[in-house]
Amino acid sequence: MARVSNWQIGRSMSYWYPESRPAKQFAAVFDINKCIACQTCTLACKTTWTSGKGQEYMLWNNVESKPYGSYPLAWDLEILRALGPQEWRGREYAGRTVFEAAPAESRVLGWRPEDLDYAHPNVGEDECAGSIERGAHIRIPHAAWLFYLPRICNHCTYPACLASCPRGSIYKRPEDGIVLVDQSRCRGYRECVRACPYKKVFYNPLTGTSEKCIACFPKIEGGLQPQCFLSCIGKIRLAGWISSPGAARPENPIDTLVHIKRVALPLLPQLGLEPNVYYIPPIHSPLPFLRQLFGPGADAAVRAYQEAPRDPDLAGLLALIGSTERIVPSWKRDGETVIGMAGDGTEIVRVPLREPVYIRDAFDAKYNVARVNCP
Amino acid sequence: MRTALRCAILAPLVGAGCSRAHPPAAVEIVIAAASPLPSDPTDPAWESAPEYVAALLPQDLVEPRRLTPATTRVRIRALSDGAIVAFRLQWADATKSDLPGASRFCDACAVQLPAKSEPDVPAPQMGEANRPVEITFWSAAWQAAVDGRGDSLADLYPNAAVDHYPFEAPSLAEGSAAWRDLSVLYAPARALGNPGAGPRAEPVEELNAEGPGTIVASDRTGSRGCGRWSGDGWSVAIARKLPAGLSGSARGQVAFAVWEGSHEEAGARKGRTDWIPLALGRKP
Repeated sequence: MARVSNWQIGRSMSYWYPESRPAKQFAAVFDINKCIACQTCTLACKTTWTSGKGQEYMLWNNVESKPYGSYPLAWDLEILRALGPQEWRGREYAGRTVFEAAPAESRVLGWRPEDLDYAHPNVGEDECAGSIERGAHIRIPHAAWLFYLPRICNHCTYPACLASCPRGSIYKRPEDGIVLVDQSRCRGYRECVRACPYKKVFYNPLTGTSEKCIACFPKIEGGLQPQCFLSCIGKIRLAGWISSPGAARPENPIDTLVHIKRVALPLLPQLGLEPNVYYIPPIHSPLPFLRQLFGPGADAAVRAYQEAPRDPDLAGLLALIGSTERIVPSWKRDGETVIGMAGDGTEIVRVPLREPVYIRDAFDAKYNVARVNCP
Repeated sequence: MRTALRCAILAPLVGAGCSRAHPPAAVEIVIAAASPLPSDPTDPAWESAPEYVAALLPQDLVEPRRLTPATTRVRIRALSDGAIVAFRLQWADATKSDLPGASRFCDACAVQLPAKSEPDVPAPQMGEANRPVEITFWSAAWQAAVDGRGDSLADLYPNAAVDHYPFEAPSLAEGSAAWRDLSVLYAPARALGNPGAGPRAEPVEELNAEGPGTIVASDRTGSRGCGRWSGDGWSVAIARKLPAGLSGSARGQVAFAVWEGSHEEAGARKGRTDWIPLALGRKP
């Protein structure tokens, strides 16, 4: 075990390998407030990468309902239960990570789903204990709310899958931080399936190897965002590169959302993997739940997002999300216009800070037809 | 101290007493001569070889460790025709695990020999750097495939329903180059030639290792295997080339490993033996 720094938990921690950050780290921001669970991302991934034999059950990208939905079943509850209490003291995590809580014979605290845990992509879909005409007949902690949680591999800085593989078949690319399973070397021991707390490594029973999200690396290498980002109807996803907090650059969209505005948060940071998909939390869900899911930054993130209409820089960045297939490593705002740029400053895309709104008459007398105005 | 000394004195006597009632435990695996070599582990020819009972020890060297292996002993017999050495491994296992799945692990076993015949043998757990071992690995999943199980999801999950695979497009002629390309497009392990990834002609795989986590496919060929499950356990015959240094009165070393699928044993989670002396028996 080595000591490594994990800024998401505000302290150093134990990890199987010494700290070795890539030249660039792939990262993403998902704005949960805009996700409608249309599953277009899921299908885009499915048709692109997992249409083969043995991959039928795999969803490298999935969208689940929270608080009750999950894929595989109870992935989050299982690891949170195994880990025990997770206490934060301010921004420093006082509990144990999955590496620090590893049983004596293992490198990582983990668990392995059963076949049937994958059988339903989202048990609990759209379920909320919402009020109906006569009111809810049971009282439970999460009454009358839900949100959608889209998930891909987090391409963690400290991947549990990589740490757990006894034969080094999983590697983190030094050039972009993408985590891959070497399909020529994997022997299907499934230590990675057991170790990944997000359950984003899947065993292919017909090839005997484990497979996972590859962040569409052929597209990344060409400066393009992955398929699930491109296809997103709600324009909730932004791919790019994240710096360490001390090296955050305001012109980097991801750095601004994560480090400067602090509106985007990692998923279950207390597990200790330093995951690199960052979520803008849903602003209408209970804060205790958001704190458990996204850490102690949840309160401030919700406030910042609520202030976005009065924060033109944040509003501008949110407008940039989903505006181009290209990765936008740099951006600036020019009055009411937001400009996305390549690394050399070349303009990639230009979007208005606020979309123009046209309101038509509810009844069109010319064509004798009623119309609905949708935002 | 006096008590301990008394025990030490008595122990050989007790052992000697027992030896009158039972044959002495074998101290080495003696390879009996046979020609032709039986390929089936249930062949009566195996009875001509003496049985060696090996204790399966914890895998306590690397994580994930397996400190209490599900299988505690394996019974070994060995035959040779002078060119090939065949081992029969038998162990108790009430559950036949030969169906791979997301959460299903398969029974397996392996035979390990030093790559070179030297008095100073490599570390018994997978060898060590620059001191390689040769491993022949048998899998119950591969045995089922060799015995005729198909290479489809329905063969693993009979009630599964699949709409369509890209390589099943009507425009593609089955077996055509385009069909073959598309069939591995979504099977990268097969496209890359991972030897464990495709349908197999033999239920065994030949491997080399220089320490835990280092096994790679070997360019050795010719190993054979056959496993049969009887209802209460496995009998597996594994045949491979006779080690070069094993002749006359020279001793070799051999080690074994067993994986119990129903106990989720795979990879480093296994029961393994220490090195066991291996000797050629006298020709009949």
